Amino acid sequence: MAVKKFNKMVNPEKIKGDTRYGDLYKPHGKVRKRREWRGVGDTLYDYSRWLGIMLTLGKFMAKPRNIKFFFRYRWMANYLAVPMMVDRFTQGLRGEYLRMTHEEQDLIIIDVAKLLNTMARADRRTGNDEEFSKINVLVDENEMTAVMMGFPNLKCTSRETPSTYVSVLLNQHAMEHYIDVAQEYGLPGDVCPMPEAEAGVSIDDDAPIFGACAVQCNTTCDGSLLGNGVISERLEKEDGIPVFQLPAPLRHKEDDVQDYAAEEIRRAIAFIEENTGHKWDWDYYFECAKRVNFATKCRNEWLDMNKTDYPQIFGGNLALYTETNYMAICGKVPEFEKCDRKLMKLAEKAYKKRKMAAPEYRHRAIVWGVQSHFYMDFLVWLLNCWGIVPLTDMLSCINTEMIADTDTPENREQAYYDMAMLTEEMIMRNRTHGGYKVLLDDLFEFVEQYNADMIILWEHITCKALDGMHGLFEDRARELGVPLIWVDHQLFDPRVISRQGVRDQVNSYMRTVMQEEPLDPTLEVLDDENAW
Amino acid sequence: MKDLKHLIYFEDLLQEANNDLIRQAQEDGKKCIGYMCENVPEPLLNLPGCFSARLRAPRTGSIDVGTYYLTSFLCEYSRAILERALEGGYNFLDAMVTPDGCTMLNRCVENMELLKAAGKEKDKFFWEYMEIPMKADYNGLDLYVLQCKNHILKPLAENYGIDVSDAAIRKAVAEHNHICELLRAIGDFRKLDNPTITGYEYNVLCLASYVAPKYLIVDKLEETLEELKTREPDPKPWFKARVLVVGSEVDDTDFIKLIEDSGAFVCADRFCYGSLPGRDPIVLNDDEDALTQICSQYMYRGECPRYMNTQKMDGRREYVDKMAKEYKADGIIYQQMKFCDPWAYEKMMGSHILRNRYNWPVLAVDRPYSIGSSGQMRTRVQAFMESIDIKKIQKED
Amino acid sequence: MKKKLLKALLYVLTGGLAFFVVTFTVYFFNLDMKLTSAIEPFLLKWYDRIPRNQHL
Repeated sequence: MAVKKFNKMVNPEKIKGDTRYGDLYKPHGKVRKRREWRGVGDTLYDYSRWLGIMLTLGKFMAKPRNIKFFFRYRWMANYLAVPMMVDRFTQGLRGEYLRMTHEEQDLIIIDVAKLLNTMARADRRTGNDEEFSKINVLVDENEMTAVMMGFPNLKCTSRETPSTYVSVLLNQHAMEHYIDVAQEYGLPGDVCPMPEAEAGVSIDDDAPIFGACAVQCNTTCDGSLLGNGVISERLEKEDGIPVFQLPAPLRHKEDDVQDYAAEEIRRAIAFIEENTGHKWDWDYYFECAKRVNFATKCRNEWLDMNKTDYPQIFGGNLALYTETNYMAICGKVPEFEKCDRKLMKLAEKAYKKRKMAAPEYRHRAIVWGVQSHFYMDFLVWLLNCWGIVPLTDMLSCINTEMIADTDTPENREQAYYDMAMLTEEMIMRNRTHGGYKVLLDDLFEFVEQYNADMIILWEHITCKALDGMHGLFEDRARELGVPLIWVDHQLFDPRVISRQGVRDQVNSYMRTVMQEEPLDPTLEVLDDENAW
Repeated sequence: MKDLKHLIYFEDLLQEANNDLIRQAQEDGKKCIGYMCENVPEPLLNLPGCFSARLRAPRTGSIDVGTYYLTSFLCEYSRAILERALEGGYNFLDAMVTPDGCTMLNRCVENMELLKAAGKEKDKFFWEYMEIPMKADYNGLDLYVLQCKNHILKPLAENYGIDVSDAAIRKAVAEHNHICELLRAIGDFRKLDNPTITGYEYNVLCLASYVAPKYLIVDKLEETLEELKTREPDPKPWFKARVLVVGSEVDDTDFIKLIEDSGAFVCADRFCYGSLPGRDPIVLNDDEDALTQICSQYMYRGECPRYMNTQKMDGRREYVDKMAKEYKADGIIYQQMKFCDPWAYEKMMGSHILRNRYNWPVLAVDRPYSIGSSGQMRTRVQAFMESIDIKKIQKED
Repeated sequence: MKKKLLKALLYVLTGGLAFFVVTFTVYFFNLDMKLTSAIEPFLLKWYDRIPRNQHL
């Protein structure tokens, strides 16, 4: 394999409005001085989307039970920062890129608002709607929801998604309290802070209580598997909510684990039927399967586009949208199919016009490893500060195959294997487990396929599966002559490595090894330690 | 107490991964199969013509290269093993079988394979990775059996011509059981009020049974059992309290020694490389094939925290309570090797549940792979002994 | 009638313009986020006071 040299590309179109993004940061501040000026058209567009977000939030808070919910759960305070999250992800974006990001982000916001509404209604402490609670099946935060594709009248609800996962996206400090709670109970600080924080929410009595039953999964790691044990201790024994543990095989590329995986899917479905009284609906399953395939087709096309000189859907937006659409939605929400279509249209339009998202493209990078959750907009920063285009990230490199989506007797049997495959090859675990090929060898294949000239390797320091390949990544990159920038972080806990600490690793590499100057020097050092 | 006749012999076996008996067995024409996790059914690696060696890195010094490859966040066991492998310390192996049990051990072995750290000039050498069930039930059992066939029996037969028939497996189980029964009988002396064996001595014997070809240590174990029957204990028990040690991988006899030097008696060993349940005999019937029965017993009795179903999770704590009672423990020490994720969680849950639900005095500690003579650990164990003493006095009052 | 319509239109336009001016000012100067960031510390104190059954 030979790494191709990438010649800098300059955007023929001038970026309208602000270009010194660092000037918008307030020293020591939680929030920014003002919003970005993007030229008249794009600013008005952004403003209109902001109004839409405010409407979504206003509608949520208009219900008394939701207000009660807001004041009961500490993590709800993070939702004060929703508009700012969108500002972070749209930094520097104009035209189609701005619109694509809003399409993705705004839909995710609406979806999370619906989820919160569901939780507030069903929660024994707030809405206490018992009948409604009975149609909810609880799932983990990092769990493929394929087993719910055949239950049109049940709600697949993840308590951890809004309490931990989204909270950290909104506020980098969101999980510090819960991590501390878990550690006070004896959990060491060297485990992954994601399941640690989830365990902390449970220990701190801050998880809403509702649901007919729960399906836990061993995704994504040993910590996640064991963290579920902490949660089920309370859920099952105190709250009386039956729990099914769905083990997805770790060596998911092997043929000799697939029967086991499919059987576990069958059992999970039987468990849900038994505890909810609802029956599996094949028509609905295949309808969802069609949408899963459509999402896969779109993602494949976007990724193909990113292999060319004019990538369109990439970076943090691709990562966040893929995670939501692939894992949490999994064909169940038609709005996401509509969003896929809109995104495709916008991407094709921009591609035809050979549009670029930044003033210059200096490097094409594959972003690998587990991204820092408290700094997911780092990829936007990479582009704006150094002109590094994050072509794709590890979490977006998921299933590319179509699943059976027409109702035949054979396909009904195949469906269990498809659901098992989707679950086994869930985001992150499809790379961090399954043997070294999917993590190590595939990275360098992607470098070649995407004509990348750089690797940004997120090293989530307590992700043992990733750490375990550290030296081999380093050796292989050196052997092939690919510049590899390590970016250490502690996923949910910016107290260990701050956002500036994350940036500094890139800054020093770019200045010392690559001997380059930043595109936007105001972004190189930012005082955002206290920021949301 | 008078020293055990063969203690030094067994201690010597633990000084090197490639010990004298491994060399002797290989000279006898047997193949040495390395493994690193209790989830690999041991009798299957001890079929006629081969024997198992559970990997250790005794007398570990620097683990810098291991740390370069695995970072400082992986447990020191995996780093020490990789370091030793890169030094050529496991070149004696003829194959390596590992389950994707915990991520760290799996990555350690993958690094060994990619760095070609074993199997040099052994053209039939193989690396095998197994999927191990995470729940104990019929589906898990089917998986276990299939994995053992595909990743142990098949490569053994194909590469080394090992007889993997039911009869051969039963023979291996019989030999395995003989060792287990000997160690059980020896271990039962720990139940005495004034025990005639120390926790350290037992740990040495038990550990040797994992790292040396079993057929070569049978005679010494038999002699030790006979010796123990007449061994005179000290006039008064030498310890302040009896403790059950629970937790992750312990292959460092110094750790048990350190606990005992601090005034405790390790009356039972519920840890990986320990005897509970690792040295429980495997009971076979004639109705079902031996492989399925072995897998079934490994799966249902397994105390590994990666088993995620509620019954297994509760069972782990019940088992600790049961063993603590059976071995008349005064307290429980939950230990976890630093950076071990599964045991980090299990230690937290187990120590709280055993303390609050089962009312046991519990000490929860983490430790490095090689503990040496850590003053910190000594202080913690001593403080624990005192707290047990105080509780005893309060109870008497 | 025409006058009334014009007047109504004027009201709508004035109202719309006022709405735009106010909301755009809030939007552009990030006043929404400045307000919520000022509220957050009080909220966290509130959450600290909620009685909890904290245990494993």
